[in-house]
Amino acid sequence: MEGMVRLSFYLFAATSVSVAAAWVSYVVYGVGFIRLRRTSLATPAGMTVNSASAEFGPPSASAGRFATMFGWFAAVFAGFAVLTRGIASHRGPYSNMFEFSLAFVFVLTLAYMLFERFYEVKQLGAIVMTIALGMCLYLWSLPPRMREVDALNPALQNRPLMTVHVSAAIIAYATFAVSFAAAILFLIQLRKNVSWLPSADMLDDIGYRAVTIGFPMLALVLILGSVWAHQAWGAYWSWDPKETAALFTWLVYGVYLHTRSLRGWRGQRSAIILIIGFIAVGFTYYGNYFFGGLHAYGGVN
Amino acid sequence: MAQATLEKRGVRNNPLETLVDRVWRFFCSVRAAVIEIAILAVLVLIGTLRGSAVPRWIADAIPITGGLVDRWYAWDVFHSIPFMFILAILTIAITVCTMNRAPGIWRTINEPTIATTRGFIRNAEVSATATLPEPIDRAVDDYSATLKKKRYRVLAEQHGDSTHVYADKNRWAKLATFPFHLALILILIGGIVGARYGFRDKEFVIPEGSTRDVGHGTGLSVKLEQFNDSWREDGIAASYRSDLVLYENGNEVKRESITVNNPMTYGSTTLYQTSFGQAAQFRVTDAEGRVLYDDSIELGLYRASANPDAPAGVIDLPQVGMQINVIAPDEDRPNAPFLDTLNLKSGQMYVQVRETGPNASSNLPDGVVVQGQPQELNGINIEFVRESRFTLLQVASNPGIPIFWTAAFLLVGGLVITFYFPHRRIRAIFDENGPEGATQVAMAPLAKRDWSGQRDFRNAVTVLSGKFSTEFSIRESTDPYTRPGDRPMPETA
Repeated sequence: MEGMVRLSFYLFAATSVSVAAAWVSYVVYGVGFIRLRRTSLATPAGMTVNSASAEFGPPSASAGRFATMFGWFAAVFAGFAVLTRGIASHRGPYSNMFEFSLAFVFVLTLAYMLFERFYEVKQLGAIVMTIALGMCLYLWSLPPRMREVDALNPALQNRPLMTVHVSAAIIAYATFAVSFAAAILFLIQLRKNVSWLPSADMLDDIGYRAVTIGFPMLALVLILGSVWAHQAWGAYWSWDPKETAALFTWLVYGVYLHTRSLRGWRGQRSAIILIIGFIAVGFTYYGNYFFGGLHAYGGVN
Repeated sequence: MAQATLEKRGVRNNPLETLVDRVWRFFCSVRAAVIEIAILAVLVLIGTLRGSAVPRWIADAIPITGGLVDRWYAWDVFHSIPFMFILAILTIAITVCTMNRAPGIWRTINEPTIATTRGFIRNAEVSATATLPEPIDRAVDDYSATLKKKRYRVLAEQHGDSTHVYADKNRWAKLATFPFHLALILILIGGIVGARYGFRDKEFVIPEGSTRDVGHGTGLSVKLEQFNDSWREDGIAASYRSDLVLYENGNEVKRESITVNNPMTYGSTTLYQTSFGQAAQFRVTDAEGRVLYDDSIELGLYRASANPDAPAGVIDLPQVGMQINVIAPDEDRPNAPFLDTLNLKSGQMYVQVRETGPNASSNLPDGVVVQGQPQELNGINIEFVRESRFTLLQVASNPGIPIFWTAAFLLVGGLVITFYFPHRRIRAIFDENGPEGATQVAMAPLAKRDWSGQRDFRNAVTVLSGKFSTEFSIRESTDPYTRPGDRPMPETA
């Protein structure tokens, strides 16, 4: 078992390297081609005038190919890291913030790569991989004791429900991250209309499609959490801060879905709500750090 | 027409009906719904933060907010009138909105408008045209057959020399919005039913070997036969289990072991394992040897006032107007040893007898009793029989649970159908084109600002192109989100 845990950790290290490489490649691809020009002109009076200009252009295709390759490497390494940890612990590896965040990096990179493949656009990667890289750095910052596989405390000893409940949460958060990236690019596109970025129409659709996965998933999280709470705590809803934070996030995305059918809201305002929604996701995700209540586990308290 | 306009104006002039009309429109308004959900979200956020350290951080950072933060912590948002009010408004809005939308959705499903205009196709964000090498009747038949293979329903109407064709798929999925919104109301109903007709006892304590009545008119009582636990190396409980016997009106009806995730249910009553603690079995007799008490008391729900590390308990003896306060040995001796003035050892308990009632003596005889050695205090014999455990259970009955599960099923099912089976619609006009029997077709989807809908349309056009062996000309407008007057970013900045 220790060997598996160590293997999982090495795979996580490989994931981190791949995510970093993917991040660099996606940023290069997303920003596009930039050429800086400096010109010096001598005036008849003998003075020198310097001017600088930047030339922007479409990104290089090879940066995109590398980005995709590293992105898939990250998803595959992270997938195996989660799998080996799952084998070592004989359960869905979600018992503390290290395991949960590792699984999040896996689902985030995988979800993004699938979106990239489906929509045939790569520019979102610059934002999604920034989030993935941030998560990897967060994982490295966690205390080493959290890398060990611990037995579950009695409240968590419900393997089927824990696996499905937490998996649904990870999928929801990952797809919301993709919608967040789409919203950011949408707002950029609305103001700058950059020719090599995806059309605002497509970005709006990516944001919406991501939410159509995340919103039912988060509903499932709330429902499965209620089923579990009913079994373990004797009440399907206890107004626990983590429960209500998830409910808050769900309501924000509920507002987003309604604004799409509202004249004057679809587009820019909807995109802003997607950004607020992802802030709410972060609030829920890291809630264990500042919430008390029934969900006060995860190894960070 | 003029008559109808006058009547309509007449209706608006009736103040009551105008009011009803306005209220109705308010509850049907998506804009109002957005605001209502947003207010609910803000209240949920306020309530959530109340359960965190965030308000305290705010008060520490901005001392002037201290009073406000205290009020924030004191405000039970989720049981407050504003929260209930907004839930009520949303419930009414969902109901009214559903009633308002249902006829229109039903018409879209059953009696869609088949005819379209050339203006609609011309102004659509994406449209396709082609000259098909077939007479109009065959072209319409082949068009219909091709789309039907892609699960479209196809309806056609003749208008002069033209044939208008309407095709749609996933039309029944439009109904899924109703179970989803019904589910939201059912969740609230489930909560109300549970609160009104159920009960929840959060601290149901049974010492080992003791029996306790459940109450609430259930006629049930529970005996804790044995309590088992196991511990991890780091001192955290790995698992714990209560072996329970359930009696109904004195007759044994069920025997089961429960753990945190495995409750015991009998009828509508469920017992949940919550926690556990130390207990002690005592036997108290009077001077004549009559048994006043022979049971276990839980230690740990109380703490000794002089030493928080010492668990304490109380034995009530109402038949002799006395109460015995019991203090167990210090659980954490290294912590604040100066508070452990009793210095009890394992197998010892400190007891203090207190008389109750109006003529109670202020004299409080006390002493240390050793396990198995009865001691006489204030005319009664107190024997500490043995150490044991108590289990802390929750006992609950919630008749709203089936409603909640139904709602959960409808909610997720409704969402999945709504999102993954979108209603796709394509309108087309077929015209005879020239004497050689060719047909001109112009078609467009109802997919305004719907990139996926437009992509599905393009896929359908590709299939039709293959069927007719004809290239379709696709016309696309510019990105609808790009504002007029915007120019692409200059290549040199």
